Amino acid sequence: MKKPLSRRTFLKGVSLTGAAARIALPPLEAMFNSHGTAYGAERAPIETRFLLWFNGNGIPEKYWIPTETGPGYTMTPCLAPLAPFRNDVHVITGVDNPSARKPGPGNDHHRSMSALVSGTSFTGRGAGGPSIDQAIAARLGGQSLFRSLQIGVSQESFGESIQRNLSWAAYDRALPPEMIPHKLFDRLFGARDEGWIARKKSVLDAVAEDATQLQAGLGKADQDRLGDHLESIRELERAIAGLPPEYAQVEEPEQGGDMKDWPRIAKLQTGLLAHALVTRQTRVASYMLTKCQGLSRFPWLGYTAARHHDYTHQNAESPESQRVMRDICRWHVEEFAGLVGKLKATPEGAGNLLDNCCLVYIHEHAEANAHKNNGLAVIVAGHAGRLVTGRHTKSAGTIGDLYLALANDVMGAGLEGFPSGRAKLAGIAG
Amino acid sequence: MLAARIVWSLMAVMALAAETGRPSLRRLTHSQYNNTVRDLLGDQTGPASQFPQEDFVHGFKNQVEAQSISPLQAEAYGAAAERLARNYFRGRETPRDGGQFVREFGRKAFRRPLAEAEARRYGALFARGGGQLVVEAMLQSPHFLFRGEGADSRLSYFLWDSMPDDQLLRSAAAGELATAAGIEKAARRMLGDPRARQALDEFVSQWLRFDRVLNTVKDRRLYPQFNPELAYAMTEETRRLVADLVWGSRSFMEIFTAEYGFLNTDLASLYGFPAPGEEFGKVQFPAGSDRAGILGQATLLALTSKPEETSPTERGVFIRAQLLCQEVPDPPPGTDNNLPASTEARPLTNRERLGVHLTNPACATCHQLMDPIGFGLEKFDAVGKRREKQSITFFPGRQERGSRAKAVELEIDTRGAVAGIANSEFSSPKDLGRILAGSAQCQECVVRQLFRYAFGRQETSADRPVIARGLEVFRSSQFRLQELIIYMAGVVR
Repeated sequence: MKKPLSRRTFLKGVSLTGAAARIALPPLEAMFNSHGTAYGAERAPIETRFLLWFNGNGIPEKYWIPTETGPGYTMTPCLAPLAPFRNDVHVITGVDNPSARKPGPGNDHHRSMSALVSGTSFTGRGAGGPSIDQAIAARLGGQSLFRSLQIGVSQESFGESIQRNLSWAAYDRALPPEMIPHKLFDRLFGARDEGWIARKKSVLDAVAEDATQLQAGLGKADQDRLGDHLESIRELERAIAGLPPEYAQVEEPEQGGDMKDWPRIAKLQTGLLAHALVTRQTRVASYMLTKCQGLSRFPWLGYTAARHHDYTHQNAESPESQRVMRDICRWHVEEFAGLVGKLKATPEGAGNLLDNCCLVYIHEHAEANAHKNNGLAVIVAGHAGRLVTGRHTKSAGTIGDLYLALANDVMGAGLEGFPSGRAKLAGIAG
Repeated sequence: MLAARIVWSLMAVMALAAETGRPSLRRLTHSQYNNTVRDLLGDQTGPASQFPQEDFVHGFKNQVEAQSISPLQAEAYGAAAERLARNYFRGRETPRDGGQFVREFGRKAFRRPLAEAEARRYGALFARGGGQLVVEAMLQSPHFLFRGEGADSRLSYFLWDSMPDDQLLRSAAAGELATAAGIEKAARRMLGDPRARQALDEFVSQWLRFDRVLNTVKDRRLYPQFNPELAYAMTEETRRLVADLVWGSRSFMEIFTAEYGFLNTDLASLYGFPAPGEEFGKVQFPAGSDRAGILGQATLLALTSKPEETSPTERGVFIRAQLLCQEVPDPPPGTDNNLPASTEARPLTNRERLGVHLTNPACATCHQLMDPIGFGLEKFDAVGKRREKQSITFFPGRQERGSRAKAVELEIDTRGAVAGIANSEFSSPKDLGRILAGSAQCQECVVRQLFRYAFGRQETSADRPVIARGLEVFRSSQFRLQELIIYMAGVVR
């Protein structure tokens, strides 16, 4: 048997070789112990990963929510793409989003979105607190190259901050998603030689010094704004660290192409996301397939007359409109199923990447036309932390209750609480 | 740490800025970044157009409270700086005297002379990687990305949307910008420069939300003539009307009453007017046309419409918010948004569908402020084309292959009114334009919008004297926007 290598050895090695470093998957076998479950040298278990997945607007409940509960439920038309992964997913419906109903600024979409991701009320501009992925990343993201990643696909929406962003670092502090595949590739897998890294570090050091000195002479508000800049610079410094050259190459997505061909972009983005997770560049990610109150068009489904949000309200109860919604939401699930499939097909340790992932799939509303913010339909996928899968559960808990169970029982983040959460939802982790 | 972040709230930022009595640092907007690297490096590539999108807050993209720097934004600054510095030194020799280069380039990039410690810091970078590394770093420095209190930067970013030129930096160094007279002199010179036109365009494109026209979608079956080129032409018409009024020193309130426009062939065809002699040349509207000013322009009519039909509500909201500076609240939680459906058996006009807004007391409180404004513009469809009747097309569903679309035509009642303005009954864009142009609220709103844009924040009660004085200046100049801009340049902090 080969002598186990430590990841840290790799990182040091890079600065000695000075060669162009490219990274990719999968982690070298030499890094696992003989059981294939852990890094041999460090004896640490394989990390669990968390993904928050979002689709805009709501759903047509009758085509989405299964009638039966328990393991024997019948897959609905919208859920059908997940049929091959039936035992990898847990469909949870009936989830309440009570903070969305508190009076305050904004329209229903704004209020629901802030409450959905952060459990807190919309501020008039953004979410009222950190989103669940960021609450988890604050506890678990510290050792990764990226504390967290934000990835997006379709850019069409009414275009305000709360509608365009899924991840929030704190009150009103959006973390915008990267929506251009080749830019995302460059962040994650772009060629970096030692000289580039050293150069970049010297630049960032100078800039950080500027920021620190500038901060000293300012009022409190400006100090905090610069502090934000400084923190972003430090995140950047961390992310440009050297990467193991021994890793195989990830194929670079082509530049250009139709940048409004969302199915194409979505496939590139989920591919890069899977690579980022398996190469351990981050433990926490968020993925916005479409935007809150999204205005995407769906020419590949044959719907060109209007945009997604228009369809949700145009004679919404008519059979024709319900079928449009059904097809749109089935496409959302199809893309999600595509990611689940990729993760499952990626070996990791003795099993596959999906074994170590916890994916949570959410929308801002249940029935779209009514802007319904109770009875939300959620999909949890993966097997991290002994997630319960293979069933449909009707829940009476809140979105905060669900997040608490996922963050603490599955991810081990040790959150003391989460807004709108009262008690961890039961039946989530075995 | 998270608790410390809560200071990002709007109220906290405003309160702290007021408490410390300091102006807030302002980050370059994406537009200012593009213009600045053009003027600083001669780079025309507009790298900020690829940055993460900016938020509209209080109607503008330059509001201080929205100007944080996320990690993705920091990365975008880094990548742009690397590329800009590389391009700048392509075919240009790296300077021999590092100390001199750092001081000279630094003075332009930071818009002030470098402090000793800064010169040393960047001198060390020069020793390591030459001028290119210095430029790459300076373009990411907060001293470049944020601007502070200097009168020169304040003037140039307001009046030019870009960095100060040498003359302005010299005036500042000589203390000439310390007096009101000095500022006015500088401002008048600056308004004569072509950069002032780009700055005005930027203000107008944000105020009148050109982004919404440029990103709008229309049902292709109903509006086959609508495409991105036409959308661009719409905004160009608006831009040229504003430029004509401002730089031709006419009354800015003619923005609501002008019976002429700047049309290309496509727009003229959309409007049903004769083709113009030259593309976007000035044309007088035909006698009897009820178009006038921006209310009759396709820009406003299209951006306030849905893909398939107009939205009298949206039109009312836009006119209230952008042109009268009145915020209309969003519907409260739990509102039933369903309107009666317009069906083949019972086709309904927009006015009829929206009737429930005015009969249901829960809706009427707010909707009486919005919908009746839109009703008066109903003779202009979702792309700004004149119509006598509302045509409703019923397309066959997918299940009904082979059957044809059916259209019905309904009479339009265009009686509208602006609640809160006396004798404001109207039934065309031209009528409404006259009402707005003469309305004190609307005139004051122009001042307030310019205030928000110049100051990068919403006005507070403490700003009332500044607004009131601005309105006096605006009125006594017969509504010359240039005079209002010069006034604002003197008071902006």
